[in-house]
Order: sequence, then C-alpha cells, then structure tokens
Amino acid sequence: MDKFSRRDFIKTSGIVAGGLLLLPCCRYTEQPYRFFSPEEADCIIALSEQIIPHDKYPGATDAGVIYYIDRQLSSVFHYDQQTYRLGIESMQLACNDMHKKLFQDLPVSAQIMVMEEMEAGNLNKYNWPGGNLSSFFNLVLKHTMQAFYGSPIHGGNKDYMSFEMLQIDYPLVIGQNRYNS
Amino acid sequence: MNKKRVNAVVIGAGAGGGIVAKELAVNGLSVVLFERGKWPVYDEHPNDELISQRTEVLGSPFGPDHEKNPRVVVEADGRRHIVTPIAGGYSNNAACVGSGTVSYGAMAWRFMKEDFQLKTIYGPVEGSTLEDWPITYDDLEPFYEKAEWEIGVSGDDASNPFAPHRRKKQPMPPFEYNHEGTVIYNAAKRLGLHPFPIPMLRNSVRYNQRPACIRNRMCCGFACPVDAKNGTQNTVIPIALKTGNCEVRTQCMIAEIVINEKGKAEGVNYFDEKNKGHFQPADIVVVSGGAIETARLLLNSKSKLFPRGAGNNYDWVGRNLQGHAYTGAFGLFDYDILDLTGPGATVALCDFNHHNPGMVGGGLLANEFNRLPYLYTNIRPPGSARWGIDHKKFQYEMYRRTSQVVGPIQEMPAFDSRVTVDDNVKDFWGLPVARLSGSRHPLDYENCRFLSAKAEEILKEAGAYHTWQSVGGRGLSGGQHQAGTARMGNDKKTSVVNRFGQMHEIDNLFIADGSLMVNNGGFNPALTIMALGYWVGGYIANNFSSTKFRTG
Ligand SMILES: Cc1cc2nc3c(=O)[nH]c(=O)nc-3n(C[C@H](O)[C@H](O)[C@H](O)COP(=O)(O)OP(=O)(O)OC[C@H]3O[C@@H](n4cnc5c(N)ncnc54)[C@H](O)[C@@H]3O)c2cc1C
Repeated sequence: MDKFSRRDFIKTSGIVAGGLLLLPCCRYTEQPYRFFSPEEADCIIALSEQIIPHDKYPGATDAGVIYYIDRQLSSVFHYDQQTYRLGIESMQLACNDMHKKLFQDLPVSAQIMVMEEMEAGNLNKYNWPGGNLSSFFNLVLKHTMQAFYGSPIHGGNKDYMSFEMLQIDYPLVIGQNRYNS
Repeated sequence: MNKKRVNAVVIGAGAGGGIVAKELAVNGLSVVLFERGKWPVYDEHPNDELISQRTEVLGSPFGPDHEKNPRVVVEADGRRHIVTPIAGGYSNNAACVGSGTVSYGAMAWRFMKEDFQLKTIYGPVEGSTLEDWPITYDDLEPFYEKAEWEIGVSGDDASNPFAPHRRKKQPMPPFEYNHEGTVIYNAAKRLGLHPFPIPMLRNSVRYNQRPACIRNRMCCGFACPVDAKNGTQNTVIPIALKTGNCEVRTQCMIAEIVINEKGKAEGVNYFDEKNKGHFQPADIVVVSGGAIETARLLLNSKSKLFPRGAGNNYDWVGRNLQGHAYTGAFGLFDYDILDLTGPGATVALCDFNHHNPGMVGGGLLANEFNRLPYLYTNIRPPGSARWGIDHKKFQYEMYRRTSQVVGPIQEMPAFDSRVTVDDNVKDFWGLPVARLSGSRHPLDYENCRFLSAKAEEILKEAGAYHTWQSVGGRGLSGGQHQAGTARMGNDKKTSVVNRFGQMHEIDNLFIADGSLMVNNGGFNPALTIMALGYWVGGYIANNFSSTKFRTG
C-alpha cells in the first residue's frame, strides 16, 4: 500500500468496483435517492435542467444537481422536505390540468411555459397551506445554482464541470487558471 | 464546581477580546480568555464556497454551530422568525479563536476625525440617537498605530488627502492594484477623485515571522492557507499565551455575568465543552462577544441591582444596533476586467466619506472582493433572466467582465434598532437567544442612493458599456459589521459605558468590542475595534493596582 499514491488507490478501487457491477446479482438498480421517489426526482431533474440547460457546456442533469438537492434535503435542508413534497405534487397537478401530462414528460417549450407561470405567481390556485408554487420555484432555483456552481463534495458539479466552464480551477481559493482555451 | 480565581475574565476571543487579553497578560494580570468556539484549524475547512464565512449556505466553517445557536428576527410588520447562521438574516460574524479576524476580508481602516464628532459637525439628526464619541481620533491614534504594528497592516496613506494624520506609517508597503484596480484607479483620477491602495491586515511582505500573501483568488470568508492574513488568533493571542499569564478556554459558553449585592461583578457562569456548568471568579470581567452576543449576555445577566440586565437600568443595552448598508454599482465591460488576482479589492477612495452636500457622513468606495461562482449567480442587471440559457450564458461570458464598486454607508444610529432577548426561544444551553428588531434610519437609504450614484459614475468613466446600481440601506441592521449596542458616553442615562469601556455603575465590568462604537463610520470596523481593544486593555492594565476594581 505504501507505494501507492492516494490517487492510485482510488483508481485501483474504482476498477474493483467496476468489476463488481458485471456480476448478475447486481443488475437490479438500487433506488439512488435518499429523499426523492424516482418520479419526484424525474420532475426535479427536468426542472433543474431548464434552470441550467445543457448547451455547449454541460447542464444541471450532467452535473448531478439532483444528487445535491437529494442529499441536502436529507440533512442540512431537512426543513425544506415538506415544501419539495407538496411543491412537486401541486406542480404535477398544474401540469395535468393544463397538459394532461407530468412535468417531466412535457416538451421543453411547455416546461418553460409552466416555469414562467410558476415564477410569475400565476398558479395561485395550486397554493397549499403554508406554500405556493412561486416560492417553491425560487427554492429549487436557488438549490440548483448551489448544486451546479458549488463544490462537488456536496453532490453536484460533477467533475468540477462548472468551474471548467468558467475556466477557474480547483481549489477555488488558492488556484490559478489551469484550463487555457 | 468553582475555579481558581483570576484577575480577569475576558469573554470572546475575537478582535476586541484577543487584544484585551494580551494587554492584560503582558502587564502581569492573570487572565482566562473564554471562547465559545474552537481554535481554527485550516485543514478542517475545505475551500468550499457553500461552507464559507461569506456565503453560509451549508454551514459556517468558523462557527457557530447552526443547530445550537438560533436567533429571532422581528420583521417590520411584527412577524417573528427563528433564524440560524445559515438561514434568514442571522447577522453572523463567527465563533472561534480569532472570530471574524480569521476569515475576514481584512480591510484595515482608520476612522476619520469627523467620525468621532458627527453631531458637532452635522448637528442633531431627527429620529436618530446620533452623538459624538466621548473620545476623539487623537485619543485613539496611538492605539490605531499599535494595532497596525502588532497585528500587521499593509498600506500607504500618502495619496489619500482625506486620511487622518498619523505619527507612523503602516508597517508594510501597500498591495499592488490588480487589473480591475488599475482601471478603476485611472477612471477615478480622470474624475478628479483621489484613489489609493486599500490598507489590509494582510502581509504584503514577510512580517511577524509569517509569509507574504500569495494573492489567492479569494480569501474573504476563508482562512489563509499560508497564514499571511493577520487576526488575533495568529498575533496577540499567541503572545498572551507565551506570557504564561493567560489561559484560553475554548468551547465554553458564558451564560451569565454574576453581579453581587454591592453591584460588582464576581465572575461568570459558563458551560464547558461537555456542557457542564462552572463558576469562574475574577477581579474584573471584560465582555468582548461582538455587538449582538455582548448585548445578549448583558441582558441575560440579571441581578438585584440590575433587574433588567447588567448595566441596563436606563434601557440602553442593545440599543443603536448598527452595521453597514452596503451600496454601490456594477458595470459590464467588453473585455476581461477581472484577472482574478486575489482577493480582489485593491483600490479605494474616501472622497465621499464626509462633507457631501446635504448629507450626514457618507462612506468609502472600493472595488470588491472577487466573487465565487455561486455568489455571482445573483449578480445580473435588473430585468435579466434569473434562469435558463441566458442566465447560464451570462455566467460564463460575463464572470470576468463584471466590475463592482461598492462601500459601507455610515448608518445613523436608531434607538429602536436593537438587540433584546427572547425568553420563549432558548439556545442549546437553555439561554434566551438574541432577538433583532427595528430598522435603519431613513437617511441611510438616501445616503446609499448618493453613494451608489457616485459608484456608477466611476464605472461609466472606466468604460463599462452597461451599468446599474444596487442600493442598500433599508430594513434591519446588524450583519458582520455589527456595532453600537453598549455605546460609550459621558452620561449614564444615554450610554452604557464610559470613555474607557467601563460600565457606568459596575466598576469592574468592561466592554471591549464593536458594541462600544457610538457610530460605525463609513469604514469596515475591525481596525477601530482593535484600537479600542488596546485603549480599554491599556486603561485596565494601568489602573488595575488601584483597589477599586477588586471585588474582594
Ligand atoms: C467574511 C467576513 C469578512 C469581513 N471583512 C472585514 C473587513 O474586510 N474589514 C473589517 O474591518 N471587518 C471585516 N469583517 C468584520 C470583523 O471581523 C468584525 O468587525 C470583528 O471581528 C468584530 O470584532 P468584535 O471584537 O466586536 O467581535 P468578534 O470578533 O466577533 O468576537 C466575538 C467573539 O466572542 C465569542 N463569544 C460571543 N459570545 C460568547 C459567549 N457567551 N461565551 C463565549 N464566547 C462568546 C464569539 O464566539 C466570538 O469569537 C468581516 C467579517 C466576516 C465574517
């Protein structure tokens, strides 16, 4: 073990883990979320993808924004759990009324329209006690930005994607530019 | 369990408290310096924007623990919210040895002569408790000098015609301007203004056996990886420890200052790191908990002679809570104006601190510390997309092309801007928490509009193709520059302590932190708080042998 650098060690164990994945017993996919149901997660993935869409640079989905939100909701942001649960539910209700579809199944243009209505506070009839879709939208907006632009150790910004996009390197505090384009 | 009696207990190892502890210890007094937080350890803190003292999204790396230390904020309409350091207007500074001086931006301002005499110069202000300080700039000047040399400041006043006189230069040469600084400097010059390098509590050259700054992209909100930033934790507190007269007791939460029937402080009750209660007796007690926690502790220290809290028989403890309304403007450039040479802020001007037509006071203007990516997501011209492809494009196209000129406006002290305690909301130790209420004086917003307009003019002159103002100055005060809650004065009916930080009616109880400030200047406050630490500490050390401070 002495001869390995830390990085080598991580690489080696990565290979072992990769190998394990081929075993038949592991083919079934485990629920990857701590807080969200798969359907709720799909909704937030779609929503955050339109907040930070993929263009010539990766977007929210590529960066794993959902994992940041999911992880923080199960820890530091536990007090926002109810807002997410009810927010997603009432958002889906709105989408069903307007389009007879789940938000994540709408075409992008319709998704953006729903988001603009949420942001503008035009979906007030879907308010729930103690919450409404416009403040829910603002919450997801804030969390998506944190996930995409914050440090990867919190679950989002996979492989420092957004730092690379901004051409700033890691560590942020002491770094000098490394991505010379 | 009772502890061995000491000469002095100092509560809070931040800017003020660290200095007082050192002044007392080197003069032979036995001291226990209490701190509710821990010693900061650089390696414990990732270089992480979301856990930085400037952007406290997921936690405060330098304290306090967000689960254990709630506060209450009262909105203008009377609604009360329980808030934490990571959510909702908490006004956090820090809680560790060094406190804010570990992770601050480290601007090292002396106040101007005028700042100590606002009422004399400008006259009374309606709706404000504006008052002259009981001390002048001249009184404090030698103590500013001491702070600059012992803690360590880089700077040069020569090209600032508004600088107050000084006997001695700052000990280190100023930092060079970064690219943005040069552009702003040139623009300000063309406008006939007087820009100069920002004085910094940061080493421009090797100093005090620690290295020079390596110009990291950012350090405001972080500890320095090479220890080139100067706080009390790496200067005066180690000196105090070396004397053998000072013990730093960390992770100890002071619950109460015990005042006896004769109206003297006997010592303090506190909870140690295992949450066990103790009494620490002392000849004198110095409170340096920062403006909000100092007020809270005084209010929580009720006794027979002071049933409304220590020194609060005239209801002035916790009043006049001030901070700094930050105000300024942004400009967009068609080239990369930011080279991200850290930590960003390099150039300032004091043309608008005083004698602005029709105004009381004013504020400095400076370019801003570099913004990390998440903070930048909120910086957009009015009407811009808050999300979607346009928001993202702005992020990657304009990150290096956005400049900000900004400054702290001198707030008018307001009687109802205050700290009280909320008996219905308790912290982890069962102590009533600080409750912040009231709002800034209406003049603050007017002054902010003035200063923001000046900032915008400079950015236009600098060649920005698009500019917009961000105007502060409304709502609750407080924040990292919290001050004023136990102000100095000659009249016990309109102030809490005398000119030496000594409680008017409790001889052996002193205050030494931002709470003392009669007003907060148009400058970041740390160097003035440090000078006050030397001023109060020196007074205690010189007068300790006279028996009047002793309880026994
Ligand atoms: C990110 C950031 C940037 C800043 N930038 C600048 C700048 O560029 N220039 C500038 O001038 N200022 C700056 N400041 C502000 C500066 O740090 C503060 O003004 C200064 O530290 C306040 O000094 P103080 O002595 O009043 O209180 P503090 O330094 O906050 O010290 C108070 C200490 O008391 C402890 N304490 C409180 N209550 C108790 C209790 N009951 N028991 C035990 N311990 C207790 C606290 O934990 C704390 O450590 C910045 C602050 C931050 C956080």
